[in-house]
Amino acid sequence: MEEKTIEPSKYERFKIETKPAPHVYQIPNKFDVSARKVRLAAMLVHEAFGYKLNKEVVLSRPCIYGVFGGRFGGFKPLKHKCVGCMRCVQEYPHIMTVNQSNEYTRLGDSFWTPEAVFTIWNEASTGKIPVKGMGYKGAFSGEGFDGIWTDMSEIVRPTRDGVYGREYISTCVDIGRKPTSVDFARINQTPSTVEVPVPIIFDELPTGNMDVWSAVGIASEKLGTLFVSRDQTRGDSHKERMVPIVDENSFHETIEKKPTVVEYDAEGSDLFEKLAGRLPSSIVIARIPLREDTGAVACELAQEGVHGLHIYADYHGQDYSEDPRHISSSLKEVHQQLVKEGLRDQVTIIASGGITLAEHVPKAIICGADLVGIETTVLVALQAEFLGETRDRTSYKLRPRRIDPAWGAQRLVNLFGVWHDQLIEILSAMGMRDVRRLRGDIGRSMMDSELREQSFKGIAWAT
Amino acid sequence: MGNLELIVEKHSERIHNGLEVLPTLRHGLPAGLGNKRWTAELILATYEMALTGDLPRNGLEYKIGDSGGGFDVLGWKNNGFPKVDQDSIDLSISLNKRKVGKKIEIPLPIYGGGMSFGSISLNFMLARARAAKKIGTYTCTGEGGYPDAIVPYRDHVITQVATGMFGVREETMQYAPIVEFKYAQGAKPGLGGHLLADKVTSEVAKMRESTMFTSLYSPFPFHSVYSVEDHKKHVDWIKTVNPRALVSVKVSTPTDVDMVAIGSYYAGTNIIHIDGGYGGTGAAPEIAKKNIAMPVEYAIPKVHDYLVSEGVRDDVVLIASGGIRTADDIAKAIALGADGCVVATAEAVAVGCTHCGNCERGRGCQVGITTTDPELSRFIEPEWGEERIVNLYTAWTKRLRSILAGFGLKSVRDLRGRKDLLVRYK
Repeated sequence: MEEKTIEPSKYERFKIETKPAPHVYQIPNKFDVSARKVRLAAMLVHEAFGYKLNKEVVLSRPCIYGVFGGRFGGFKPLKHKCVGCMRCVQEYPHIMTVNQSNEYTRLGDSFWTPEAVFTIWNEASTGKIPVKGMGYKGAFSGEGFDGIWTDMSEIVRPTRDGVYGREYISTCVDIGRKPTSVDFARINQTPSTVEVPVPIIFDELPTGNMDVWSAVGIASEKLGTLFVSRDQTRGDSHKERMVPIVDENSFHETIEKKPTVVEYDAEGSDLFEKLAGRLPSSIVIARIPLREDTGAVACELAQEGVHGLHIYADYHGQDYSEDPRHISSSLKEVHQQLVKEGLRDQVTIIASGGITLAEHVPKAIICGADLVGIETTVLVALQAEFLGETRDRTSYKLRPRRIDPAWGAQRLVNLFGVWHDQLIEILSAMGMRDVRRLRGDIGRSMMDSELREQSFKGIAWAT
Repeated sequence: MGNLELIVEKHSERIHNGLEVLPTLRHGLPAGLGNKRWTAELILATYEMALTGDLPRNGLEYKIGDSGGGFDVLGWKNNGFPKVDQDSIDLSISLNKRKVGKKIEIPLPIYGGGMSFGSISLNFMLARARAAKKIGTYTCTGEGGYPDAIVPYRDHVITQVATGMFGVREETMQYAPIVEFKYAQGAKPGLGGHLLADKVTSEVAKMRESTMFTSLYSPFPFHSVYSVEDHKKHVDWIKTVNPRALVSVKVSTPTDVDMVAIGSYYAGTNIIHIDGGYGGTGAAPEIAKKNIAMPVEYAIPKVHDYLVSEGVRDDVVLIASGGIRTADDIAKAIALGADGCVVATAEAVAVGCTHCGNCERGRGCQVGITTTDPELSRFIEPEWGEERIVNLYTAWTKRLRSILAGFGLKSVRDLRGRKDLLVRYK
């Protein structure tokens, strides 16, 4: 009998390969450790006598991270090694001080906290999920995404094993319009959708340079995602990953390029029919700023037939209403209005503005987005410099640096890898196998404002 | 004495001295210490209480942190002068409210949370066990096995059975007056546990029956439990192995935490232990701590009210943990509906933790708490640690009595569910 060889399975679980891409530009020390030198000298003399000049004991230092491991010990501490454990202060409170450094506290702007900047830098640099011990250290809750907790599955629902698990959790999403019923006249035409493996794309960057745009192009290629660009010359080498933003001036140029996905500014122009007519196999997405009436506008556009909506807030996640609200609130409204009108499943929603940390991705999806776009986060990952407030999409104070595109691409791949892993953590905790199931699933989230009213009901306000 | 001994002695003395000097504020409030949940003042106040066994007298804030929500925006109604004699106030609670099974009472509404061998040093584990014995309460093994050194304290040690089953043996379940099932933990709800490779020394590997310096993952959830019926099988298993033991079920705080609680009750558990996300001592992904599951402040009333509405509240004990930092937090948790609280981080702070969060880096904790480094572990002598933890609880007892006295309550049991005694701050 002929022996059959069993072919090894070609199945490979989707994984974003991260590898270290250390900071090229020096980052500030988080902590500023210093010693009162006279007291330090006096202490050394005192200990020298006390330990009978036993050099090893006298010079054994109160730091396990090597801050005092330099030639001059505490007289010239190696500040970059300090992790803020405070042991030196505990041992020598009269000599040592540890503060958060001024350079660290000045990082970012009124929205980007120093902690957030550090988190992105470290994620882009290491490709590893931030892990710390001894519990949570931040504020109880906050505005927008900080006032939302995601659900978890306890014992009564089967769930998965997180990043290290055996079962596959899909983070793929489709971009494009899906028919709600079978159209026999077009039975041979498959719906035009594009799948991205993670629910994140690169939105139009506020600023950049050729190296930055090149890094974004390479990263998009490697990750299988898309990048949005108003300037169509930017992504020539990766044009199949580019989503051009078209206006009347660039219309003909765009038609020639036949992009898979195309965006247009729906506020102030109506290019949909023109684009859909000339690019029948492209996915046409209307780009609209979030305002009070965006729900109604979104419904109109969906009825008109657009394939997707890219709704955006400012870089601080605030919408453009007269009384600005966080993107989480206005996005929820748009989603719910589309649901109410029976239009939600026909269009893809991309949300951008203020998506700056990994947890913002699942939370934006819970609020109704299919996927998110990131912009300032990209520049932060590439070590751009904050020179002031970077809130407005037309006036920003974020200066990109000169970079090696390959290094930049790896930083962005790392960022996506870490965010993907964290998205899986959130989904696995919920017992969800597919990120598409998370869309608009507000029932699997908990809002601070609602919980507070339920749980603290009956507790009087202090007078 | 060799140099290594001298070095350990030197740093040990200096650290202990620092824990005495810092709360005096002689050198000011250390600028880099603390965070919104554990502020510098709260950390120093805990050092002070662990030293003296009394409440701080120099104005250090010892009641709340600066998180801007939860316990930190709750206060007490102005209750004027003490209405009952503080010494006559009963702080004890029962850990078994069912009509069957062993009756266990603890003299104060607190016991120690699970911190596993491997994630913390044996010396700290011993300090906690000794303190629990002295006070007459309990501490918990966590999911890391039951070191032989703990056996003498077994009447005060809860054996934890968690998803990785590390170190779970029939004999360790038989030692225990209480067996705790850890279905989930607040700091990483729905994600299981993770002991980083560096901490898996030969002793830890032996205890956990694993390989040295290999990361150990506890899966999530129990792969034998996908329903309340499966859970009941678990409870039955424990009651068969150790019929004297009470069963505690530690769960996290999802939207349906009330349903989980009632399911656990009907499965036969004695203690429902809800663990909110803002506590935890082990290394956990930052995204999990901040974002998954609700804070315990919101979960307590939800579970309490539901158990009341189901008519079973007086048959089961509700214990809260995950961000309980002070005596006031405990009293607030009880006023929100818990019977008592589980505490872990505060015990670590009592012996010098700065809440810096570097537990998982390199050699582990710099003051010997969350480490398996043989040198660092020696900074905590079990006797010294015991004394500090006992002192902390003694100071907390005074604060709890003062709160209860102000409302004319003679027992901490009378505080349960008294939300009307609380006020909210904006």
